[in-house]
This record gives sequence, structure tokens and C-alpha cells, in this order.
Amino acid sequence: MKMTLARLTSALVLTCATLPAFAQSGEVNIYSYREQSLLQPLIDRFAEETGIKANVLYAGDGLLERVAAEGELSPADVVLTVDIGNLVAAEEQGQTQPITTPALAERVPEAFRDDDGNWTALSLRARVFYVSKDRVDATALSYDDIAEPEWKGRLCTRPGDHAYNIGLIAQRIALNGLDHTREWLTKVRDNLAMAPTGSDRAQVKNILESTCDLAIVNTYYMGAMLTNEAEPEQKDWANAARIVYPDFEGEGTQVNVAGGFIAKHAPNAANANTLIEFLLSDEAQQIYADTNFEFPVVPEVEPAELTQSWGELKASSVPLTQVASYRDEAAALVDELRFNEGPQD
Amino acid sequence: MGLPILWLAFAAMVSGSNGLAAAMLPTALRETTMLMLSVGFMTGVLGLVAAWLVTHFEFAGRRLFDWALILPLAVPTYLAAYTYVEFLGFTGPPQQLVRLLFGGETLRDYWFPDIRSDWGASLVFSMVLYPYVYASCRAFFLMQSASLDLAARTLGASRARTFFSVTLPISRPAIVVGVTLAMMEVVNDLGAVQYFGVNSLTAIIYSTWINRADFGGAAQLAVTIVLVIALLILLERAARRDRVYQSHRDSRVPPGRERLRGGWAAMASLYCTLLFALGFGVPFGQLAYLALRRVAPENVAMTLNALWPTLVLATAGALATVAVGLVAARQSRGPAVSRGAIKLATLGYAIPGTVLALGLLQPLGQVDLWTNRATTALFDWRPGLIVSGSMLALVYVYAIRFLAVSHSTLDEAMRKRGDNMLLAGRVLGARGLGLLLRIDLPTLTPALLSAATLVFVEIVKELPATLLLRPLGVDTLATVVYSHANVSLFVNAALPALFIVLAGLVPVILATRFGSARKL
Repeated sequence: MKMTLARLTSALVLTCATLPAFAQSGEVNIYSYREQSLLQPLIDRFAEETGIKANVLYAGDGLLERVAAEGELSPADVVLTVDIGNLVAAEEQGQTQPITTPALAERVPEAFRDDDGNWTALSLRARVFYVSKDRVDATALSYDDIAEPEWKGRLCTRPGDHAYNIGLIAQRIALNGLDHTREWLTKVRDNLAMAPTGSDRAQVKNILESTCDLAIVNTYYMGAMLTNEAEPEQKDWANAARIVYPDFEGEGTQVNVAGGFIAKHAPNAANANTLIEFLLSDEAQQIYADTNFEFPVVPEVEPAELTQSWGELKASSVPLTQVASYRDEAAALVDELRFNEGPQD
Repeated sequence: MGLPILWLAFAAMVSGSNGLAAAMLPTALRETTMLMLSVGFMTGVLGLVAAWLVTHFEFAGRRLFDWALILPLAVPTYLAAYTYVEFLGFTGPPQQLVRLLFGGETLRDYWFPDIRSDWGASLVFSMVLYPYVYASCRAFFLMQSASLDLAARTLGASRARTFFSVTLPISRPAIVVGVTLAMMEVVNDLGAVQYFGVNSLTAIIYSTWINRADFGGAAQLAVTIVLVIALLILLERAARRDRVYQSHRDSRVPPGRERLRGGWAAMASLYCTLLFALGFGVPFGQLAYLALRRVAPENVAMTLNALWPTLVLATAGALATVAVGLVAARQSRGPAVSRGAIKLATLGYAIPGTVLALGLLQPLGQVDLWTNRATTALFDWRPGLIVSGSMLALVYVYAIRFLAVSHSTLDEAMRKRGDNMLLAGRVLGARGLGLLLRIDLPTLTPALLSAATLVFVEIVKELPATLLLRPLGVDTLATVVYSHANVSLFVNAALPALFIVLAGLVPVILATRFGSARKL
């Protein structure tokens, strides 16, 4: 009996231990939260220019937890993720090592990289309003406006504890303090048309359906939906709405980042730095802008024409690291107000 | 088998949480309880009535419904959620019909219920989970003597009165067994509750861990969920105890079916048709439509990419689970200590995949770390992440979660076979491994195959644990569907979703071919 077990186990070990085969030189290993359609053209060009082959593991939620659990055995060189909270969390958990390429300081504005180079933004996105073309006339709105009674039953957003909303709420706390933000979020919650559920795109569909008139959504989804040939219905969703940059006339719109860091135990740290340098080049930044409709983090590179057609971005001056430092308070507020249960009066 | 739970209990006590989890606990408990109760009630009523109709009466389509009413089990809860949101949404056929009939262009012009809500979740769960109750009640009625019913009818009780005074009370244990299974599925589910915006315990555990990086808090919530499950199991065990007491084998009268006529027959047929259409017709039809409407090459490529890892994982998982199940079933005849241990081990079926994944990620990482330190010191060789970075972690989780499925199938088969052949083998000098290879394997082949099939399909459908523990970069059918649905691109993942349902149909078809749907 024991022998069978031992045999079975060893057989299973042999058949299942199919490890990702990573070489040690001339290659770089990427763990990516970002989708393949964005990354593939980038790593193709990277291989052409540098001769370094990039192996990519696409992973969704729980990426940082996995890297942490893998510890010193992790094959990851570069981790690409979204949201300032994730980048700062990686640094705080000691998962990073400083990026050494001089391109970092030369290309990236101070506001969008860690002082010690533990992470850098690679592209920017803004948390904006999508309003119904038919039912909303306003062309200028502020984040405070949507707390007004006139928006009662007209707002939509994804769950409050999603990183994108946590980012926005944390920015409100950094700007206006906890008490003011609690009051604001309570009013926003009670203005919701329904309990928050679904993705950012689903909120835009809600506008088409008239479930709501204003949705809080990231900028680039407009481009992604307008150019979605795989599911052309999404063009209709997007065509029902237009973008308003909140606080354009005041403090400026809340901006979040997609970015990356070099893993602490990176086996190919030198190649990792070459990759980061490439991702900050004009060419790579243009790919970010054109395929994903994000804003390039390098100021010299222009956003895509479609992106520019939505208006001009004026970014809030609240430093991202300060936003990130309030994310626990923001999450606590979402729980305290039971935001995800929808309007409560 | 107890490793993930012990680790979580340990983590819940020692690691500091930032207190966020505690704030969400009342909401999570309330919403989970409401969901369990409403689904429990609806599956109980729907399943019982269906089983009662199919076993007690004769009406048009009865022989078809007899097995077709089990088919919704092939639709995992998360797929039911995605398809129903699509079907009842703004662009779905019912709303298009409403717009066509009454005019109006947007939801401002007419009223239509929004399925993305707590009640919507209850309804959709009930539509695909009622077969648990149906199957257990049906099996119970088929075994049960019809003498009690006949006595009641002879004494002049109406059909309705017989149902409420006789059928309902005696089938209570079967209902409880089915309802408990349905409730466990509710607790285990992650994809559907997230899609419907229900803050269930499992959803909160996931977001506490993933969105808030609060492992301690997630562990504390996970311990709560294990307590909820333990309570459910106690209830179910209590109900099973009653069952032995209530069957009267000596007075067995074969259950004759009364022919329904006119309106009653039409109502019975309509009821079963509706149940089948809502539980299987809508999800399957919607998937087939979405998958075949536009067959884009990239969707086919995505499906094929996910198919291979799915097959490898499900095969490896099924083999491992059946092997462990076989050992367990043999030991079930052993001393009380090992019987108790097996009972505990089979409880893994009740523990949500999210909780198992939560409890395993860190211990497995440690195993890898120490293995590598040992091999580096001894042989100067670093094998890397042989457990947590490979499919082994998942095979391990599947074995924990689905041991009960393989064990119960094999245990039953061994009981039916009896010990005569084993004893004969012993007399002829076979021992240990020889006994297993020459007696157990040949005599148990059908049971081994059916256990392996059942586990295989459960693994194909499994989402939460696969999502969190799969080797990075590896996608299965279930995870592909989940990740697309979560960014509102479910339509593009309809093809892999269709494959999951088709795989789920296999054991149902096998079971009906061999004439017993009880194992489902």
C-alpha cells in the first residue's frame, strides 16, 4: 500500500512539476497584471532592440501575494501592476529593489516615481465622470457636485473597495480630511442608483440603459470600448456617454498610475533595468498611449488623438504617495458607511 | 488534510489585522445567512415538488423530466450568474420584447426588475442548485414504501392533504440532505456573488485578502466561515440519523404512479418544463448563442490554450483524489480511529475553495523554501518552486476538496461487493499490494471510473481555489471565463464557458445510462 502511494506521489511530482522554464541570461521574467494585448507589442519591440527575450506570466488578482509567498525563490524580475496602492504596498512589504537606470530620473516626473527608485509609474489614467449625452447638460463638474441632491438616484460606480475607488476616496481624504470625506461619501452613497456592482465598463452600459446618468470610471475604457471589434455592442455603450474631467476648473482630476517595480530577488536585475529603460522610451510610451488610451508618464510623449478628443487633463496636485498613505482609512470608510450596500435613506 | 484550517486558525490568532475585517463581519454574516436561507427554502420547495411529481404521478414528458431535471447541476453557479445577467439585462430577449411590445427606448420608459441584487442572486442560485434536493428526494421516494401514501388516499385524503400530512413529513431527512448541499455551494461560491454585488463571507474574505492585503483579517473571517459550515454539517448529520428510523422496509409496496389528467397533468408538465428551462435552458441556450454567434479566431485560440491545462489538472486531480479515496475506503473497514480520521478528512468538501487557498499559499511557500535550502546544502541544486509554483498545490487542494466525492462512491461499491473475494484472495496468499492490484482494481473498475469522472468534472468547474493557486501564467477554462466576466467581456469567453457546461453533462449522461442518478 505504502509503495503504491509513494509511486503515485512520485509520478504526480514528475508529471505536475512543470515549472515555467526561465533561463538566467539574455532573458527577463515579467509577472504582469496587465493584459497581453498591451504587453505583447512592447516585448516584441524590446526583443528586437536589445536581444533580450521577455518571458511573461499573466496573472490577475493576488499577484503580489504570490510574489510574497514565493520569497527568495521567485523567478520574477519585473512586476507590472496597476494602482499606486499596489506599488507602495510592494515597497512597504520589502518586495522591491531600487531601479538603477538613469532613465528613471531623466524621464519620469518626480510625482510619479518613488524617491529611492523602488517603483515607477509607466502610464497614467484619470478617474473621471462618464455622463449621459442625452440626460446631462453640464460640461464642468466637480467631485463635490455629485454629492448634491440633484444627483439623487443617478450615480453608478463599481464596488467601493476596488483599488480604483479606494484611490479616489484616499485622494479626497488627503485633500479635505477624513470628516469632510465621510460626509461626502455618505451623500454619494445615497445618490447611487443601485448597490455598486460590476466593472467600470458595466457602469457605462448602465448609462445606456438609463439605470443611471453619471458613472465614475477610468478614462481609457472609453477608448477600449469605442475600438472593441470583438464585441461591437460595447461601442453603443460608449456612444451613450461623454467624459467630463472633474474639478478641471479647481483642484484638478484624480490621477492614478499603472507601473512596475524590480523584484527584490530578481535573478536578472540588469536586464530588468534595461526593460524599465525601454518601457520609458518614446517608442514604448507611444504604444501605451495608442493601444491602451492611457496618458504617457513621460511628458514629452503625446496621448493618442482619441484620448485628446475627450478634453485636456489637469492632474490633481496631491502627491500619489500621500494618496497611498490614506488607503487604509479609505477602505475603513467604505466599510463603515457600508458603501457596497448602496443607498441607505 | 487539516493543514489549511490549522494554519488559518493559527494566523487568525497571531497575525495582527488592521481591524477592517471586523467592520464587515456583521454585513457578511447577515447577507450570507439571508442568501443561505432563501436559497435553502427555494431549492427545498422546488426540488421536493419536482421529485414528488416525477415519482408519484404519470404525465406528459415525465420520463424525460425524470433525468432532465438534474441537468442544471452541469451549470456552475458563476456561469448561471453571468448568463442570467446577460439574459435579463438591457440587451437580453425579455427586455427587447418589452420594448417591442410597449415601446420605450430606455429603462426610464418601462419598469424591469434588476437581477443584479440580493434577490436576483437567491433566484439564480436556486435555479441551478435545486437538483441537489430533487436528486435526494427522488432517490428517497423510489426507496420509500408507498404504503403510507396509499393508506392516506384510501382513507379519503386529497392529493394535497396527502402531500402535506404524509409525503412532506417523511421526506424531511432527504430534503435536509439536499438543502445542506445547496447551501454549501452558496457558501463556496465566489464568482456569482461578486457579479451580483452580494457581500457574502467568501466575497469579503477574498476582498480582505486581495484588495486590502490583510491576511490576518481574512484568516479571521475564514475561521468564521468554517464555524458556519460546521453548524450546517451538524444539522445534516442530525437529519441523517432520523432517516434510519423512518424507513419501513418490511411494509414495502412498490411505488405506483397515479395518472394525472386534464389541468393537473398540464400543470405538472408546465412546472417541470419551467424548472428545466430556467435551470438549464436559459444558461445553456445563452452560452451556445453567445459562443456560436461570432466565432472569432482569438476566442478559439484562448479556449484551446486553456483547455490543455484544464485537462492536465483535472486528470491529475482526479487520479490523486481517487487514489486517496480508495485508500480511505479500504480503511473505512479498519479501527475506529482511522474511521474517525476519514470522516474528518471528507469534510473538506464543505470548505470553500477560497478558504483552502488562503490557508495553503504560505505553508506551501515555506515547504518550497525549506526544500530548496535542504537540496542546496546537500546537492548544491536549487529545484525552485516545486510545490507552490506548480500544479501540485492545486492537485493537493482538489484532493482535499473532492475526497468526499471519490470516497463515498468507492465506499458504496465496496459495500455492495462484500468481502468474499478479498477473503478468497487472502486465503490464496495475496497480500497488501497484490490484493489491491489483483482484487480491488478489477472488481472496482466501474466505481473507480465513475468516481474519477465525477471528480474530473468538479475540478473543471472549480473556480476559487484554481484562481488563487494556479501556477502563474496558467489559465484554465474557469479562470479564463472569470477574468473576462469581471471586466465585462464575458461575451468573449462564452466558448470556454460552453466547454465547462458540456464537461458537466458527462456524469449526468453516464449516470442516466447506468440507471442511477443517485450518486449525483
